[in-house]
Amino acid sequence: MRVTQSMLSQNMLRNLSSSYNKMGKLQEQLNTGKKVNRPSDDPVVVMKSLGYGMQVNRVEQYQKNLGEVNNWLDSSDDAMDGVGQVLHRARELATNAANSGTVTANDREMIKIELEQLQEQLQDFANTKVGDKHIFSGKMTDKPLFDKNAGGYQSGASFKENVSIEVFDGVDLRVSTNASDLFNNINQLFTDIKNDTDDKYDFSAAIEEIDGLLDDVLMKRADIGARSNRAELMENRLMMQEGAAKKQRSENEDIDYEKTITDLITSESIHRATLSVGARIIQPSLTDFLR
Amino acid sequence: MRSTFMGLETSKRGLYTQQSALYTTGHNIGNANTPGYSRQRVNMQATSGFPGVGLNAGTVPGFLGTGVEAGSIQRIRDTFVDHQYRSEANKLGYWESRTKAIAQMEDVLGEPSEYGLQQSLSDFWQSLQTLASSPENGGARAVVVERGVAVADSFNYISKSIAEIKTNLGDEINVSAVNINSILGQITELNRQIADVEPNGYLPNDLYDARDGLLDQLSTYLPIEVSYEKTGGRAPAIAEGTVTIKIMTNDKPITVLQKNTFSNISINGKNETTGEMPKEITGFTCNGAPAGGAELSVADMKKSGELKSLVESYGYKETADGPVKGMYPDMLAKLDKMATAFATEFNKIHQGDPANGVYATDLDGKPGEEFFKVIDGTKPISASNIKVNENIISNPNKVAASTSKPVDSTDPTTNPEVGNGQNAQNLGNALFNKLAALGGSSVQGYFAQAIGQLGVAGQQAVKMAENSGTLLLSVSNRRDSISSVSLDEEMTDMIRFQQAYNASARMITVMDEALDKIINGMGTVGR
Repeated sequence: MRVTQSMLSQNMLRNLSSSYNKMGKLQEQLNTGKKVNRPSDDPVVVMKSLGYGMQVNRVEQYQKNLGEVNNWLDSSDDAMDGVGQVLHRARELATNAANSGTVTANDREMIKIELEQLQEQLQDFANTKVGDKHIFSGKMTDKPLFDKNAGGYQSGASFKENVSIEVFDGVDLRVSTNASDLFNNINQLFTDIKNDTDDKYDFSAAIEEIDGLLDDVLMKRADIGARSNRAELMENRLMMQEGAAKKQRSENEDIDYEKTITDLITSESIHRATLSVGARIIQPSLTDFLR
Repeated sequence: MRSTFMGLETSKRGLYTQQSALYTTGHNIGNANTPGYSRQRVNMQATSGFPGVGLNAGTVPGFLGTGVEAGSIQRIRDTFVDHQYRSEANKLGYWESRTKAIAQMEDVLGEPSEYGLQQSLSDFWQSLQTLASSPENGGARAVVVERGVAVADSFNYISKSIAEIKTNLGDEINVSAVNINSILGQITELNRQIADVEPNGYLPNDLYDARDGLLDQLSTYLPIEVSYEKTGGRAPAIAEGTVTIKIMTNDKPITVLQKNTFSNISINGKNETTGEMPKEITGFTCNGAPAGGAELSVADMKKSGELKSLVESYGYKETADGPVKGMYPDMLAKLDKMATAFATEFNKIHQGDPANGVYATDLDGKPGEEFFKVIDGTKPISASNIKVNENIISNPNKVAASTSKPVDSTDPTTNPEVGNGQNAQNLGNALFNKLAALGGSSVQGYFAQAIGQLGVAGQQAVKMAENSGTLLLSVSNRRDSISSVSLDEEMTDMIRFQQAYNASARMITVMDEALDKIINGMGTVGR
């Protein structure tokens, strides 16, 4: 084949531009850390990466949701713990009061005053807030369970509705604890004692009732504990999911730095070779040797 | 009897001919870098011997050579390689233009990235999940609204940008048609000049080169077939004659240029006064002789050349009432379908169905309104015609996050459940629900599929463009190997012709000396 200068320079131009192209692609990959930057680079990788990206986003969101779940459950448990302590103190007081031989009417009056304080503390527990939500108000999270204006506990159906938070695709976890009946009952008991004016209240019956209420509190706490366990389980699962999703995503679309840098160095040396070969081949022509 | 000065004449012819060869060498060197230039050669031929044939011819032993003349100056070119070159250029034209059109679409869609539609949908879903777990939080509501606006904006932006590029493609079709007509006009003019020159016995090499360059250009737009007609008169046997151009189609070829006439190509349905392009191309008409108004319909166009690729990107109809096809209209239709299906599903969940006991309630206990609305009330909801309800934008409390039974005038005692975020969760699911309007895909799945299809088409186009580019380069190399100027070769020729020139000059000196002998040295006996 007859070879001419213009062919040499055209071929060299083509080789240079293709090696520039290759290096440009590698540079882009190294800058972004991604194998693909447009669908036509590799449609399969891009389609998968859309799916994996969504998956990672979802897991991250579910983890945030789980944080909210823990907030609810921890605060509910703390509040219930407080309620239990109030009941224990009430039981002590009732035991003292029941001992009619040694307790004077004056003492009983003192006990009543303390009970009143306990009743108020109970109201505070019933109105426990997490952020701007009242956690014992069912779905009426903007309203306190104890209505200070009406001086009583709310009883609407919505106050008993459960609140759930999604912690995984289709998995809801109940975060509310329905304690309005419990609070109502305790309140009723305290009010009964307070309203006793003739000093003939049967405190031994009250002790029994308090024991029953303590059982209720324990049951609520057991329920909360069980749900906390589930949340913890879910947290572990989500962590594994996150790891798996991120790994899949990374394997799918991230570059292998060692490989890409090696490729870049290879392309660079090819590019240099192209340049120097071009410089050697194109320059000399017969013109240089004819005098 | 030969003449005394015949030797001088023979050498003079040598001088002249070698000089012509040297001039041609100079012309070649001068055009070494001219695109489309084919190297030229002087075809030297010995002049007829002495004596000439005839009854009363002189009697000398054998024919005596009378020197050399430049018979013709011919360009070195191989029409078969030209044919190959144009067929590859035609393929490259198609795939390059397609690659460009797909790359532009990819740029607009911007996937995969943190700014694409996919990301805004994903962000929207996240904000709805946050709202589901904190429905009483005004901030969470505001975020949902903002992310909803971002989704609508993404749809608007992508749809508008694609429509804009589609318009640009239409302009490009227009410009291509103008270019094609201009090339045809120039070739016709060259045909005319060649037909003028050739019968006088000349070879207009530079006109041939110009014409071949134009044919190369034309072949990137359309698949063409080229044939030649002799011009007659005293035209040399190697004269090329005038060119006839036919556009190849799936049906029968259309002759668009012959001798002195060519047909103007016009776009069917284009408004000639405003220059407005039809919404989709149905074909082209070749007006005037020799095509005589022949129709180049899109269905007949071969899948080759830049023009067809532009038409396929811009959008076309194979029959007047047939379906609209083409890459850009397809993507627009897909986006519209997706936006409509998503907005419909989302609105359905956001509004609930109180008649059947499915409630969607906002923070004030009122039933949810439409979340997504049309921008232009005269048209249905679509990717370019979607926005978030301005009532909801101005009051994010109107996001119907709850499924509680609403307060109304007849039932003022029911309270809206502020802590109920069930509907926000349902709204989030709108992205993943399998929708009949999308053929059973989810919005998310449908989009990923559209991106995937675009990617596959793009990958194919890039590969084909690369392949046909490589093939074109190798054909172009082959062509150059035949036609392009090698400086080394020209230098060698230069020395060849220079030496021959010098030698001819020396011959004249020798003749001079011989004649000197005759004139000055003879007949002086006894002087």
